[in-house]
Amino acid sequence: MKCIVVTPEKTEIDREASFVVVPLYDGEYGIGKGHTPVVARIGAGELRITSADEEKASFFIEGGFLEVSGEVVSILTDRVLLPEQVSLEEAEGRLQKAKELPQTNSDLAAMKEKALVGARGMLLAARKWRKK
Amino acid sequence: MAKARALDKRRKSIRNIRKITRTMELVATAQFRRAMERAVSAGAYTQRIAAMVADLARAGASVSHPLLEERQAKNGAALLILTANRGMCGGYNSSILRKGHHRADELKGEYENLRLLISGKRGISYAKDRKIELAATYDQFNDKPQYDEVVKIADHILSEYLAGNIDRFEVAYMKFISVSKQTPVVETLLPLSELAADDEAGKSAESNGAEYEFLPSPESILEEVVPTAFRVKLFKCFLDAAVGEQIARRVAMKAATDNADSMISILTTTYNRARQGQITNEIIEVVSGASALQG
Repeated sequence: MKCIVVTPEKTEIDREASFVVVPLYDGEYGIGKGHTPVVARIGAGELRITSADEEKASFFIEGGFLEVSGEVVSILTDRVLLPEQVSLEEAEGRLQKAKELPQTNSDLAAMKEKALVGARGMLLAARKWRKK
Repeated sequence: MAKARALDKRRKSIRNIRKITRTMELVATAQFRRAMERAVSAGAYTQRIAAMVADLARAGASVSHPLLEERQAKNGAALLILTANRGMCGGYNSSILRKGHHRADELKGEYENLRLLISGKRGISYAKDRKIELAATYDQFNDKPQYDEVVKIADHILSEYLAGNIDRFEVAYMKFISVSKQTPVVETLLPLSELAADDEAGKSAESNGAEYEFLPSPESILEEVVPTAFRVKLFKCFLDAAVGEQIARRVAMKAATDNADSMISILTTTYNRARQGQITNEIIEVVSGASALQG
């Protein structure tokens, strides 16, 4: 099974994987070999890739889409960060900012919701990685 | 000897200028290659988005979204002009500014108010000289536009558009057609005309025809795809502009180097002639002096 992570700037990750866990909009979603074809929305949080030789790698991804077809897992996302690039302070600052956004109409409210989801996902991932 | 020495001095200074323009040409070539690579690697994302939209359409999701609808209201419009931060790139900046300025005048007639946004120091100083009011200026983009930076602008425009402050958003930039051809264009990004990005991307994005499961639903995914498509489209404009700038600079600097070369060869000929003339003169003087003594 191939796992490809693409951002608008470039193809970040392209490797063989045996199991992939993707943070979807409503929780984590695991994909193993022979998974049914899926298109899904990604929230924000930790992406875990277990490679063919059982080696595990973690990344923070935010926004975008997951597409599983055949033996290819493609992840289109806005950004990919390594665990050491995620800081607790930045995540907290983002959450604070997201909370202050206006929500005067439904579209603006949706944007605020998205910012909140991104900030919370980042905070959660940052807390987890800090503990380690 | 005075004339020959002046010629030699000029030739030396032209040689120095040639060295500078030649270096700039080489730098522009390297930067062009980098910018081009970025533009190509950004294509992967666009293609996959286009493929996804095709899958969604097949799954029966009706392709409708507030960002796709043409608005009747003509309250406000925004025009973003992408220029370079630096000069020395031939007619690159002036051709975009001409195109953008022309379009701005048209939009002013159609819409009640127009917000002009300019990226690039060249464009900003152009507006300053003509006392044109700008809603926003950006000068953080150079040969490597960052997606994160572009998204900030895109999201600002999106929120203004959704709040109803602007009804149309256009970008004037140098569109990359091929290495030897770029043209200044004005493109309408909002409302988005079509989702499938570029025609080529849509065609090459052949789907494998699998039956997809959509989480949470095709409509919800579409809702997310549309703003993403807008952001990526704007990002592509910036990438194209960066590539165009480097090509223009390379061409301009190549022309400057060639001009310096031909000037140096002309000056060398003139200098040699002047030197030879002087020597001939001196010989004549010596010979005529000697023959005067003999006589």
